[in-house]
Amino acid sequence: MKKKGFDLSALTRSKITWAVVAEVLILLVCFIIRPDFFSISIQPTTGVLYGSLIDIVSRSAEITIIAMGMTLAIALGGTDLSVGALVAVSGAMSLKLMRWDVLEYVTPGDYSVKPFWMAILFPLITCTLMGLFNGFLISKGGMQPFIATLILMVSGRGIAQILTDGKQFTTMYSPFRVIGQGNLGPIPMPIVIMAVVCIGMGLFVRKTAFGTFVESVGVNRSASRLSGISADAVIMIVYSLTGFLSGIAGLIYSSRIMSNDSNNAGINYEMDAILAVVIGGTAMTGGKFSLVGTLIGSLIIRTIVTFVYYFGIVAEATMAFKALIIAVVIILQSEPVREYFARRSERRASLKKS
Amino acid sequence: MPADIILEMKEIEIQFPGVKALDKVNFTLRKGEVHSLLGENGAGKSTLIKCLTGVNHKDAGQIILDGKEINPTSPQQAMELGISTVFQEINLCPNLTVAENIFIGRQPMKRGAIDWKTINRRADELMERFHLDIDVTRPLSFYSTAIQQMVSIARAVDVKAKILILDEPTSSLDDHEVQLLFEVMRDLRAEGMGIIFITHFLDQVYEISDRMTILRNGHLIGSYGIGDLNKVQLVTEMIGKDIDVIFNLKRADVKPDAPYMLEAEHIGVPGKVKDISVNLKEGELLGFAGLLGSGRTETAEMLFGAEKVSQGTIKKKGTKINLSNPHAAIMEKIAFCPEDRKVDGIIGDLSIRENIMLAVQARRGFLHPMSRSEQDKLAEKYIAALGIATPDAEKKISELSGGNQQKVILARWMATEPDVLILDEPTRGIDVGAKAEIQRLMLEMCKDGVSVVFISSELDEIIRCSNRIVIMRDRQKVAEVDGATCTQQDILNIIAEGAAAQKTEEAGV
Repeated sequence: MKKKGFDLSALTRSKITWAVVAEVLILLVCFIIRPDFFSISIQPTTGVLYGSLIDIVSRSAEITIIAMGMTLAIALGGTDLSVGALVAVSGAMSLKLMRWDVLEYVTPGDYSVKPFWMAILFPLITCTLMGLFNGFLISKGGMQPFIATLILMVSGRGIAQILTDGKQFTTMYSPFRVIGQGNLGPIPMPIVIMAVVCIGMGLFVRKTAFGTFVESVGVNRSASRLSGISADAVIMIVYSLTGFLSGIAGLIYSSRIMSNDSNNAGINYEMDAILAVVIGGTAMTGGKFSLVGTLIGSLIIRTIVTFVYYFGIVAEATMAFKALIIAVVIILQSEPVREYFARRSERRASLKKS
Repeated sequence: MPADIILEMKEIEIQFPGVKALDKVNFTLRKGEVHSLLGENGAGKSTLIKCLTGVNHKDAGQIILDGKEINPTSPQQAMELGISTVFQEINLCPNLTVAENIFIGRQPMKRGAIDWKTINRRADELMERFHLDIDVTRPLSFYSTAIQQMVSIARAVDVKAKILILDEPTSSLDDHEVQLLFEVMRDLRAEGMGIIFITHFLDQVYEISDRMTILRNGHLIGSYGIGDLNKVQLVTEMIGKDIDVIFNLKRADVKPDAPYMLEAEHIGVPGKVKDISVNLKEGELLGFAGLLGSGRTETAEMLFGAEKVSQGTIKKKGTKINLSNPHAAIMEKIAFCPEDRKVDGIIGDLSIRENIMLAVQARRGFLHPMSRSEQDKLAEKYIAALGIATPDAEKKISELSGGNQQKVILARWMATEPDVLILDEPTRGIDVGAKAEIQRLMLEMCKDGVSVVFISSELDEIIRCSNRIVIMRDRQKVAEVDGATCTQQDILNIIAEGAAAQKTEEAGV
């Protein structure tokens, strides 16, 4: 018995619906206050798209990319606190490779000391291995994900500092600048990278059976193992992926500032990524997950931040304001509210029938 | 209304999307009686109880408690009205002490702080009343499931209940523990409490209840005194079919020259089981009898690679195989339905479809996904073949009844088209009709050449189905008997012999 046609009550029960509603509402408020908020134009000098909306998407890239991996970690019933620290490691390593000459105090220029591919590939490999280390501690070591990933969260920044001797390097190398500040045709590069990651992850989890395996292990690890799923392998793949994606985010971040900043790179990214996942409708207890939901969640977070900057809310109040809007979003998504609206639309539907 | 009636439920109706869960059901409970509520899974027993405890809301009808109409809207409210429930799963906190568990949420206070002395003293008294000699300051998880069950009953009773509902309280207890529980129930009955008892064990119904009410498909079949119906009549009423038709099962025909499917030689795991040799022919059903903890489950786990064999060898169709993990066993076309369905079987949040396709998908690896239409076909095939009661394949498995969950797990393994199917207590906690169906399915698979290993605590079903029976005791195989000729008493004797031998041994030391 499959219901055909439009089912409003199922729609109102879905958390993603409410995330979309929240995003639309915030954007609407922006539009009312500043009607030009939605205008998108092409910058005449560079030919790149330009506007608040483009800015929101582009600036959300790092969190979105990390949150794609975080979604899977949370679907496994875990979490990954080390992502922010890995962002710092990735940036530090990349800058170190490009500025191997820094001890000679050469002023930054448009060059890279080590080959560029090294400066891209090595940080990604390192972050993937660090993710694998997390996964190993969790699956084989039987540690709580919170504790296991806390290790690298705390020590990761230290590792980044050691890599760069505690110094901050800068570079002017133009191929590196492309990652965070360049563009592909009219589209800013971070958006391109983010789109590739989102589509790639979507295909990976839904076009293979990996997504189902993640959900299965997240709900019941023991039963999954007895059904022939290598739960340990699934866990290690997921945390490696999260590490890898944090590495990408780290490259985008350091390319934006053309520098490494082990103290500030990726600060609080783990919290924003977890928040994006939760707003996107994936439960912290694990199980069913939605990457589309996570994408929307991440956009909401960035929209709020832009909103705050855009309307000149005093800097001191920024965090409180952000918290306030997020609280409203989460309440909108809560079980009782969704149930209330679902019942209302059911009642309406039955009234229409009779 | 007669004075001794404590609860009356009249013309209760509950509508779920698509089905009428209860249709004009009447139920009365007297003071000082144990009243069994009987019916197959999905008959409406749980729904009726949930209606009484405020979990489900009735669409029509009346509930009258002590002459007053009540409309409980939550379990807490029902509890305040004097209706206490003990569910099958233990709803306590294993990390808290026994005493804390009993008084959680209503701790006696003294000068603004929790009065631990009183808590522990009163918990002690309560345990004494239940004939339990345990230390109430130990964490609950320290004690066996049976004792945990008792504690949850103690907690329910101590809240000054007028009505106590016991939903499958005995499914994880052994005989001695069941007797202990019955003693408590008798005491409570003598005190005038009305007890509603739900169970699948019909012997227990006859042992403890005064009256019984039978439901089928949401309809009331009738209320009877315990002497009014015998067991056969009772089962017939419950399932609406003649019991003989269902139980007319034929043992599998094994050709004398049938090749060996699986041969295990001297397998063991130190500290768990030792030196077990069993063999299994094509199309044969091998029963495993023995008490809980006799090593039955460990042996099954070894044959599936869930427990890594460290001694001995396993051969399949004459070739040695290495079962280092369940995945390896699945690649060898061995399947295993574990004992604890909730913990090791079902993936609660996933749909029936996903639960069915899981093992097949695991064998193919995640890089070779089944298409959605393949999955749908597989799910539909087994939902139909096994008669899984569900509106569609997208329902979460956790929303099904125990019997239907078990069928889904069975479907998961049948879908892998195994050569060897190992079933550990597949019929525990499910109703008579579903039990018979699962037995029929096992025997049908044997007919198709599958070799089945069947573990059960219920000797009658082991004897009814098995070609040969392996008897386990003290983590060893002690005997192997022919299923067609042996009796329950033979098996019991073999199991008891060892216990007696052990006693004399202990006495000697």
